[in-house]
Amino acid sequence: MRVECLSLSDVQVRWSGRTILVVEDMQIRRGEFVGIIGTNGAGKTTLLKVCCGLIRPSRGTVNLDGCDLGELSAWSKANLRKHIGYIPQAAEYNAELPFTLRELVAMGRTSVKPLLCRLNKEDYEIVDSWIERMGLSQQRSQTFRSLSGGEQQKALIARAMAQDPEILMLDEPCLNLDFNWKYQITEIVEQLHRETKVTVVMVSHETSLLPSVCRRVVLLHEGNILADGDIEKVFESGVLERAYRCRIDMLKLAGRRYTVNKSRA
Amino acid sequence: MDSFFYLVMFAGAVAGASTGLLGVYIVGMRMPFIGICISHSAMAGTIYSILLGVNPVLGPVIFSAVSSMSLGLVRPGRSRLDANVALAIFFNLMLGLTFLGIGLIHGSRSEVLGLLWGSLLFVRKSSVVIITVFGLVFVLFAVLFNKELKVLMFSRNIASATGVHESFVYCLFLALCGLILAVNLPLVGGLMIFSLITCPAAAAYQICTGHRSVIFAATVFGMASAVIGFLVSYYFDLPTGACIVIVSAIIFAVSASYRVLMKKTS
Repeated sequence: MRVECLSLSDVQVRWSGRTILVVEDMQIRRGEFVGIIGTNGAGKTTLLKVCCGLIRPSRGTVNLDGCDLGELSAWSKANLRKHIGYIPQAAEYNAELPFTLRELVAMGRTSVKPLLCRLNKEDYEIVDSWIERMGLSQQRSQTFRSLSGGEQQKALIARAMAQDPEILMLDEPCLNLDFNWKYQITEIVEQLHRETKVTVVMVSHETSLLPSVCRRVVLLHEGNILADGDIEKVFESGVLERAYRCRIDMLKLAGRRYTVNKSRA
Repeated sequence: MDSFFYLVMFAGAVAGASTGLLGVYIVGMRMPFIGICISHSAMAGTIYSILLGVNPVLGPVIFSAVSSMSLGLVRPGRSRLDANVALAIFFNLMLGLTFLGIGLIHGSRSEVLGLLWGSLLFVRKSSVVIITVFGLVFVLFAVLFNKELKVLMFSRNIASATGVHESFVYCLFLALCGLILAVNLPLVGGLMIFSLITCPAAAAYQICTGHRSVIFAATVFGMASAVIGFLVSYYFDLPTGACIVIVSAIIFAVSASYRVLMKKTS
């Protein structure tokens, strides 16, 4: 088995004549927890979408498990991506459909099963066990749209985990949640990473939402990787101040890192 | 009551049920415009086959197949042009082509205008067989690809990123969508088919819990709109198409108010 499960080399994404992302070289090793941070419009979501093959780069190669995503047919690309768990931002899914929570989590089994094969009892056992692990058993037959924002996020995580993923990609999973839910969701992701050794790539606006298990951080700024490496070193190097154009104090509390804008203090 | 009366009822029920079921997916994918685009290209196809004197089934099938394939290229969130705007432009083009065709036809235009509102009352046994067969084919498709279709409706991005054979199922869906709309068009009419796609499905989405109940409710609502609308028009001597559209809208209004009431009481 390869050590890298995902590698990007010489990748460039152009959008209406403008270069919005440049990645010369980035590798994600199996079992790693990588946080992607950066300013608004820095290209965090774009990078995540390039990694899971939703955006095809204008130049360069994206290797997933040693296969070049750009050279595969749609069919084999789909087969290769069976073990990507992807949790997008709310704008990318239709939360208004009256799917029950159980139906939603069962969607995670879709790609694992071949076409024309129905989900069987074993699949539903996996589905139910993830619902239970997320503490959502009570809401099992409620509709997804009737759940609270935090519960919806938990349901999406259960959906991704039901897929038995090797790599979990989360795009700001804590957006629009209150601070308690933010804490809970990151705790869950941290726990999942510890227990199942799943590789995690998590985009986050706030450094405090990266759990203590996240040892590596990629800092994006205007489409470029400004820093990539050990979280402590990146935060201490002053590169964050350059990206955000303000003076920053870093506070460490209970394993999490909080940024404070010092410019006006 | 003669056997023809029941034939018309049956044809209406089948057309209503299959468009209602189709609507679950079209409305679920948030692209009701797809339905109107394909149905209008089928309409343009029928007019040009009349104009050129070829088989009247060939034109709509070719037109809707071509248009559903080109609609497959429209991906929400992938281009700067909003998908619904792209579809609206496409719809306008088809409407333009339709009326250009109507203008070019010499002599009686009643057959052509019937395409706008449909002519349930002039239904033939052969066309009832055709729409029933295609309706059953679509049911088979919906059963076989049930799990993929659900993910597609929830999010095409999730489907694509997590390795669901999304483009394959979507293209198959669009092709079938084009065929169903093309064969139902002469009966239901280009304007009415759109309301049978959107109203029953939208009504079902208002009140149902779970995908299976949505499918069941939308099919029943579609069938009920067609049958009730037809009966009303028969007994009160009113235009059939208009009655069906109004009944389907009433069904939607009732279920939307039911949902609001349920929310208030809970």
